[in-house]
Amino acid sequence: MMLNIQNLQASIDDKQILNGLNLEVKAGEVHAIMGPNGSGKSTLSQVLAGNNAYEVTGGTATFQGKDLLDMPTEDRAREGVFLAFQYPVEIPGVSNLQFMKTAMNNIRRHQGLDEMNASTFMKLAKAKIQQVDLDPSFLKRGVNEGFSGGEKKRNEIMQMLMLEPKLAILDETDSGLDIDALKVVAEGVNALRSPERAVIMITHYQRLLDYIVPDFVHVLANGKIIKSGGKELALELEEKGYGWLGLSDDEEA
Amino acid sequence: MSNLSKGSKSNIGAQMLSSITFDETTSNLNASLQSFRQIKKEKLASVSIPTRKTESWKYSAKRLKLADQYPALSTQMSNYQTAYDLDCHQILISNERVTLNDSNIEGLSVKQFLDLSEAETKQVLSGVIAESNTLPFADVNAVQFQNGIFLKVEDNAQIDKPVKVVLEHLGHGMSFPRIFVFVGKNASFELIEELNITADETSEAFINSVCDITVSENAQLRYIRMNIDQGKCKHVGATGVKLLRNARFNSYCMALGSELARHDLHVKMLEPGAECDLNGVCVTRDHQHYDNHTCVEHIAPHCTSNETYRCIADQQSSIVFNGRIHIHPDAQKSLGSMSNKNLLLSSKAEINSKPELEIYADDVKCAHGTTMGQLDQTEVYYLKTRGISAEQAKLMLTLGFVLEVVRAAPIESIADYWEQQLTDILSFQAN
Repeated sequence: MMLNIQNLQASIDDKQILNGLNLEVKAGEVHAIMGPNGSGKSTLSQVLAGNNAYEVTGGTATFQGKDLLDMPTEDRAREGVFLAFQYPVEIPGVSNLQFMKTAMNNIRRHQGLDEMNASTFMKLAKAKIQQVDLDPSFLKRGVNEGFSGGEKKRNEIMQMLMLEPKLAILDETDSGLDIDALKVVAEGVNALRSPERAVIMITHYQRLLDYIVPDFVHVLANGKIIKSGGKELALELEEKGYGWLGLSDDEEA
Repeated sequence: MSNLSKGSKSNIGAQMLSSITFDETTSNLNASLQSFRQIKKEKLASVSIPTRKTESWKYSAKRLKLADQYPALSTQMSNYQTAYDLDCHQILISNERVTLNDSNIEGLSVKQFLDLSEAETKQVLSGVIAESNTLPFADVNAVQFQNGIFLKVEDNAQIDKPVKVVLEHLGHGMSFPRIFVFVGKNASFELIEELNITADETSEAFINSVCDITVSENAQLRYIRMNIDQGKCKHVGATGVKLLRNARFNSYCMALGSELARHDLHVKMLEPGAECDLNGVCVTRDHQHYDNHTCVEHIAPHCTSNETYRCIADQQSSIVFNGRIHIHPDAQKSLGSMSNKNLLLSSKAEINSKPELEIYADDVKCAHGTTMGQLDQTEVYYLKTRGISAEQAKLMLTLGFVLEVVRAAPIESIADYWEQQLTDILSFQAN
């Protein structure tokens, strides 16, 4: 089992968001988590990545048998967890290149590997930035500084391709993307799919799933997974709306 | 090379600035310059040394502590070596001795103050700093300077390489370097003013420098001012800038602190269409102190000013940022913006930031913002989610905070040099 979440409960600012969530993800699987606004999708991704603003009030989450919730944020990344942010952070003055180099060498050291030499790193970075259809000049720019919404999302996928995580969590990576950018993002994720890796896609819309076909689809509501199924569940949701599952239209908004 | 070192001792009294005595050795300056000095000398008779009650010296006065008696200026010979590679024309003023590496530069005339014509002298005396009544130490410089460097860029000239003026101070004593720059119509010029001070723990050193600049119609000047201060010294410097019609002035002031370091930057936009862009980075540590005072005067309509200063104080050091935008009654359609962001890395560090807007015209846009704080936790978190440790994240963000401005400097080797300097300083602090 790669990721095993049992009865996870979490709150922010004393407001309970996750109410006993269970999820099991095996290597090689792609899971889609869908649900109305406010159902706890982003909270789940932030709690897994280690955002201190959220408080875990109960339950467990293990990653490859280790207690994930007990690990510092940076160690989760070093162990192979990657979160593609819904709202990537702008860091002026820190170049994308310097950022990725520091990140990559931290992760390599953790895995007992030597630091990557500068020219190998440059080649890799140039290849990956082209893979997400961004100009190589973006490597020299400040992290996400002045990037458009779509460029930021592509930059997240570029980082994922560089760091080759075991578990990639995509938090609404499809939101705000035009169809071309969506294809670029999907191709990036599909390129990373392998029997050793797993992907959790958090999304609002079914359309991403046309490009990245999931093995499982889960519906999250009120901080719990209320229904799970195969990829056909997403189509059913698209057709019938969340009201079909007894959720109010307000929540869907 | 001409030797201009003063033999006699200068004397600073406890209270009055005038007690910094006029060097009685015969001055070789022309009559107009001598009478200018005499006027400034008489003015200083009624000016006292700033105290903490002097508003513009509120946070720096306690750092002044001028010695009653300064030893004669050291006669140490210069051994100046540049810290970065740069293809440039170099002028060295070392303990008031002037060395011109090459004075034969197409489109640029380089003279010592000793050789100025009457017309040139008139230009020197019409500089912002020369005419100022509010900078007491600039007046002290006026009374004391024995020579100076006069640079005149011809109309329409594009000078092939940047000109670097190194103000070097070695060992003990007081020095009063002065630069005057005139950029002719439609000309374009890059000037570097590098302060290079080497004073050991036992030296009593006081450096008082002035750089007066005029940028003519449609001309552009990029000005890089660097404080590579070392050790225990006090330095008070002023830069004055006059901008005529459609003139552009871009400054990049990059500074490390010292026992006392102060820079007054005063820009007057005298004719419509002038633009200035003032950038500053200042990093202090130990018990250092750095005081930035900037003043931008919008005197004519349709002028634009932008200002970006970033300051980092660590340990027990302190920084002052006082930024003033003064919009005169006729300066309609002025655009002014000022941003000053500060970072405190220790609970004992201190930064005092004061934006001052003085606006007498009604059709203007003027904005200012100051932030004071620790690192942004969202940014720290983002870096950590990529496997970067908290310490590394702190270092990267701290550096990023200043490198954003450093990297904007127009000369790459200088930006690289500062990036390395600041990386070394801040990495050391982070450990």
